[in-house]
Amino acid sequence: MKKILLACSAGMSTSLLVKKMEEAAEAKGIEVTIWAVAQDKAPTEMEKADVLLIGPQMRFMKKKYTPVAEEVGIPLDVIDPMTYGRVDGEAVLNQALELIEK
Amino acid sequence: MNKFMEFLENILLPIADKLNNNRYLTALRDGFMVALPFIIFGSIFVVLANLPFLDRLIGEEAFATYQNALAPASESTLSLMGLFVIVGIGYKLTQRYGLEAIYGGTVAIASFLILTPQVLEGVAGAIPAVSLGAEGMFLGIVTAFVSAELYRFFTQKNWTIKMPAGVPDQVSKSFSALIPVALTLSIFLVLRIVFSFTPFDTIQNFIYTLIQEPLTALGSGLPATIIAVLLIQVFWFFGLHGQIIINSVFDPIWYALNNENLQAFQAGQEIPNVVTKQFIDTFLVGMGGTGMTLAVIILILIIGRSRQMKELGKLGAPASIFNVNEPIIFGLPIVMNPLSLIPWILAPVVVTIITYFAMSTGIVPKPAGIIVPWTTPPLLSGFLATGNAWQGAVLQAFNLVVVMIIWWPFLKIIDKSYYENEKKSSN
Repeated sequence: MKKILLACSAGMSTSLLVKKMEEAAEAKGIEVTIWAVAQDKAPTEMEKADVLLIGPQMRFMKKKYTPVAEEVGIPLDVIDPMTYGRVDGEAVLNQALELIEK
Repeated sequence: MNKFMEFLENILLPIADKLNNNRYLTALRDGFMVALPFIIFGSIFVVLANLPFLDRLIGEEAFATYQNALAPASESTLSLMGLFVIVGIGYKLTQRYGLEAIYGGTVAIASFLILTPQVLEGVAGAIPAVSLGAEGMFLGIVTAFVSAELYRFFTQKNWTIKMPAGVPDQVSKSFSALIPVALTLSIFLVLRIVFSFTPFDTIQNFIYTLIQEPLTALGSGLPATIIAVLLIQVFWFFGLHGQIIINSVFDPIWYALNNENLQAFQAGQEIPNVVTKQFIDTFLVGMGGTGMTLAVIILILIIGRSRQMKELGKLGAPASIFNVNEPIIFGLPIVMNPLSLIPWILAPVVVTIITYFAMSTGIVPKPAGIIVPWTTPPLLSGFLATGNAWQGAVLQAFNLVVVMIIWWPFLKIIDKSYYENEKKSSN
């Protein structure tokens, strides 16, 4: 079970992605839990996740999240703006899985 | 052009980082988040208490009884918004320092109450509600910052009462807070006494007259509003969340203005301010998201010929009705796209000016001080924000058309280039 956490300002726009990513995972036959949270909840939610992906409009939060992520021991990155705009669930899922693999 | 964009982004990113990660601005934003459920609860009851035509339907007397019955809902929440923000700020700031956060919240509220006037029209023991709402907002925010810092300072000095081992944790915790709380509150008491010897009488009066009034007067003006709107648009153009950066600075002003309007609306007086929290949230953001992109989506659905545009329209439309528009911003894309720069910057400024004049001339009622959540669909939000006035919805519809006209030539060019690319690649 891969646990993927998404964060943006209010958890609204990333929640659009959640469904698309779940569909992509199902098509691939990968078991995942994906959830989206508002930016202030991300640090506490990280403990439950395998990876954190940040909405590109909040990319300035990466610096703040990095020490927390290191402490919890999970990778994090910013979602590519273009795939974010296309709400491309598969591409973001792949990004998440690659980060977990590393 | 690319070099220039990169140069600008290198300036904006650190600003966004600084503003968003500043501990006081973060606490301020989180503090408003704590207050939000209470603010919205109160707003719902202001809307219900002022349903249109109800007075004619059930008679004026029954309507007055009905309004009186509902009044405590908003008067204990929305009208006293300052209290909840103060608790939130004190709590969040103390939490950030890794200390017992509930004491940070309570010490903030007690400090604020110590500074608050406790006489109303000569009657002692009465706290004027307005001091806990609109007029106390700025003092409350400053007090919350200072009291939480003092609490931290005294706690970290370790001047606490140590309990012997074996005393239950909760008991020793409540005693360990005693000295920091007592010292912090004493400082605020001294402050109150000092100010009672000045012509301002209370520090609340001092902050209100010298800081809050001038700042809100400035913030309620058209120039400052246009600057705020421009900054939000520029940040978003670089794909950075504009509101989360700008609002943390402007929210205290916009909320204070908002509550002044609420007081006037509930008292049946003339509403003073055009620019409030709702001016921004309903008439600018609440039109499909930042940059009023519902207009862009409608336009895409009407004139889009390229497959890319059509798909974007379908993908973006449902979320855009609830003012979530990241698919459009990153998908069109608007971000870093020279072709979208002009309408992106221009349209919100034009709409700001139109809305400002429509309200200041009285064609459309000013915002009634009701906080409508930013995810409320347009037209409905305009109706609610203006205190159940249909003119608010009409103004939003008018503005949507204006935005469509501004975007039309630019969207046409973008669509055409996509269309031709698609034709080329399919050949």
